[in-house]
Amino acid sequence: MEALNALMAGFGVALQPMNLMWGFVGVTLGTFVGVLPGVGPALTVAMLLPLTVKLDPTGALIMFAGIYYGAMFGGSTTTILLNTPGESGSIATAFEGNRMARAGRAGPALATSAIGSFVAGTIATILLTLLAPLVVDLALKFGPADYFALMVFAFITVAAVLGNSTVRGLTSLFLGLLLGLVGIDSQTGQARFSFGVPELLDGVDVVVLAVGLFAVGEALYVASYESRIKGTIEKVRGSMLMSAADWRRSWPAWLRATGIGFPFGTIPAGGSEIPTFLSYALERKLTKHPEEFGHGAIEGVAGPEAANNAAATGVLVPLLTLGIPTSATAAILLGAFQNYGLQPGPLLFDAQKDLVWGLIASLYVGNIILLVLNLPLIGIWVKVLEIPKDILYAGILVFATLGAYSLHQSWVDLAMLYVFGLLGFAMRRWDIPVGPAVIGLILGPLAETQFRRALSISQGDASVFVTHPISASLLALTALIVIVPWLVRRFRPMSS
Amino acid sequence: MQRSGAEIALSLGVVALGIGVAAVTATLPSEGGYAGIGPNFIPAVVAAGILLLGGWLSFQAFTGGWRKPGEQPEAFQARPFLWVSAGLLAHMLLIGVGGFVLAGTALFACVARGFNRGRWLRNVAIGLVLSLAIYLFFVKLLNVNLPAGWLAPVLGGAGI
Repeated sequence: MEALNALMAGFGVALQPMNLMWGFVGVTLGTFVGVLPGVGPALTVAMLLPLTVKLDPTGALIMFAGIYYGAMFGGSTTTILLNTPGESGSIATAFEGNRMARAGRAGPALATSAIGSFVAGTIATILLTLLAPLVVDLALKFGPADYFALMVFAFITVAAVLGNSTVRGLTSLFLGLLLGLVGIDSQTGQARFSFGVPELLDGVDVVVLAVGLFAVGEALYVASYESRIKGTIEKVRGSMLMSAADWRRSWPAWLRATGIGFPFGTIPAGGSEIPTFLSYALERKLTKHPEEFGHGAIEGVAGPEAANNAAATGVLVPLLTLGIPTSATAAILLGAFQNYGLQPGPLLFDAQKDLVWGLIASLYVGNIILLVLNLPLIGIWVKVLEIPKDILYAGILVFATLGAYSLHQSWVDLAMLYVFGLLGFAMRRWDIPVGPAVIGLILGPLAETQFRRALSISQGDASVFVTHPISASLLALTALIVIVPWLVRRFRPMSS
Repeated sequence: MQRSGAEIALSLGVVALGIGVAAVTATLPSEGGYAGIGPNFIPAVVAAGILLLGGWLSFQAFTGGWRKPGEQPEAFQARPFLWVSAGLLAHMLLIGVGGFVLAGTALFACVARGFNRGRWLRNVAIGLVLSLAIYLFFVKLLNVNLPAGWLAPVLGGAGI
C-alpha cells in the first residue's frame, strides 16, 4: 500500500502541466529521432541529452522516459517500413513486420506494434511498480561486496555470454573499463590516464563515447560501405485498423510476450535481444497459421514488439533500484542521472521519493502519449524515413558534435568523439559489440568504488567476496553461466 | 575462415594498448589505506585483462582468423570515409574561432559530400540553415552557451 501511495504522489508530479509537457516533448522527439534509419534507442537518448541541461532533474528525467519509449516505437516503425532494424531488439520484428508491409498490410503491422507496445508497456510498468519496492528492500541489505559481485555478474553476462564471440565481447568491455579509469580517482584524488589534459580529469563522458561509437562510427561505416545502397520504403496503404481476426491473433501474443520480456529485462541479459527472439519462436510454434510465417504473420510482429517494450521497462528495475544498467541505453540513462548528481539505487527511493515515483508515474503517462500520438502521426514518420542519406548523416553529425562540444566548450571533446568514431567504425566492421564498452565505462568506476569500499571495511581481507552469502552466490552464479555453456560445447557429440 | 591482415593488426593493437596501460599503471601510487590496495590496483587488473584478450585475439587471428566473423561488407570506399573525417576535423578546428554556425555548416557540407557527388551549393545551404536553426534554438530558447565566433555581430547574445 505504501507503494500505491507513493505512486499516487508520483502521478501528482507527473501530471503537473510542465512535466506533462516534457513527457510529450520527449515522446515526440524520441520517436522522430528513433525513426531515423540507423539511429537506435541508445543513440537517440545520447543525442537528445544536451536538450535537458537547463531543466530541473524531475522534468529532465520525465522527458528522458518519453524519449526512451518514443525511440523504441520509432525504431519499430523503421524496421517495419524499411527493414533496417536500428538495434538488436528490433531484428525479430523485421522478419514478419517488413513482410506484412510488402504485402500491403503496413497499417495493421504498425497498429499491432503500437497497441502491443502500449499493452506490454503498461503491464510491465505495473509490474515495475510492484516489484521495485521489494527489490529496494532487498538492495538495502546489500553491502559493498555484494554490489561488486552483482556488477561482475552484469559485466560477464553482457560481455561474455551474449553476442557472437566471448573474446570480442570481453575486449569491448575492457575498453570501456579502461575509459572508465580516466580522470580523478574518486577515493584518493589521484589523476589517472589523463596525461595532464584538463578535459580528461572529469573522465570520459558517456555521451561522447556513445555518440562517437554509434553516430560517428555508423556515419563512417555507412559512408565507406553503403553510401550507394538505397533502401526501399514500403508504402502505408489501405486501412490502418486491425481487423477482428488481427485483434484475436494479436492479444494473446502481446500477453505472452510481456511475460517473456519483463523478466528478461530485469536480469542482466543484455536488454531485449533474447526475449524478442524467444517470443518470435514461441508465436511461431503456437500459431494456428504456420503457413503465414515468413510471409507476414501478425503474431510475429505483435509478440516481439510487446516483448521489446516489456523488456525496456524491465531494464528500469535494476537501473532504478540497484543503479545497475543492463543495456547500453540504460547506461546512458544512468549517465543522465549522474549529470544531476543523482545515483540511482535503494537510497534514491528514500532521498528523492518525488523524483523516482514521478518518473515511474510518467511511464504510465508516456505509454498513453505514445499510443495517442503515434498512430495518427504515422504520415509524418513516413516522411522522416524519406530523408536522403546525405542529409540524414550530415544532420546527425551536426547534432552529435553539439552534444560533445557543449560539455566543456572544448575541441578536446570533439577530438575524443572522432577517435571513438574511428573505434566504432572498426568495431562495426570487425563485429566487436559496442554495448559492453558503454556499460563498462559507466559501471566500471562504480564497481571499483564498491570493490575498494568492501576491502576497506574488511581491512584488506579479500575473502569478504566469498564469505558474504549474497556476494558468494552471485559470484558462483557468474562462474556457472561461464562454465556451463563451455562444458556443453566441449562434451557435446561432434555429430552436429 | 582465413587469415586477415586487419584482424592481425587489430589484435596486435590490443596487445600494444595493454602494454601502454601497464606502463602508465606503473607510474601510479599504490598506497591504499585500510583497503590495502591503491589507485593502481584496478588499472593493473584492466591492463592484465587487455593483454590477455590481446593475446587471445592474436592467437585466433594467426590460427585461421577470428572465430564466427560477422557479415562481410562490400569493397571499402576511401573517398567518402575521408570526406566524413575531413568534415569532423574542419568542425573541430573551426568551432573555437569561427563559431558554431560556420563550423556546423562546414561539417554538414563535407559529410553530405561524402554521400553525394559534389552538390556543394545544396549541401552548404542546407547545412547553414540547419546549423543556424540549432544555434538559435539552443542559445535563444534553452540559454545554452554556444560560440557565435565570426558571426557574433550578426547573431547577438543570449536571450530573445
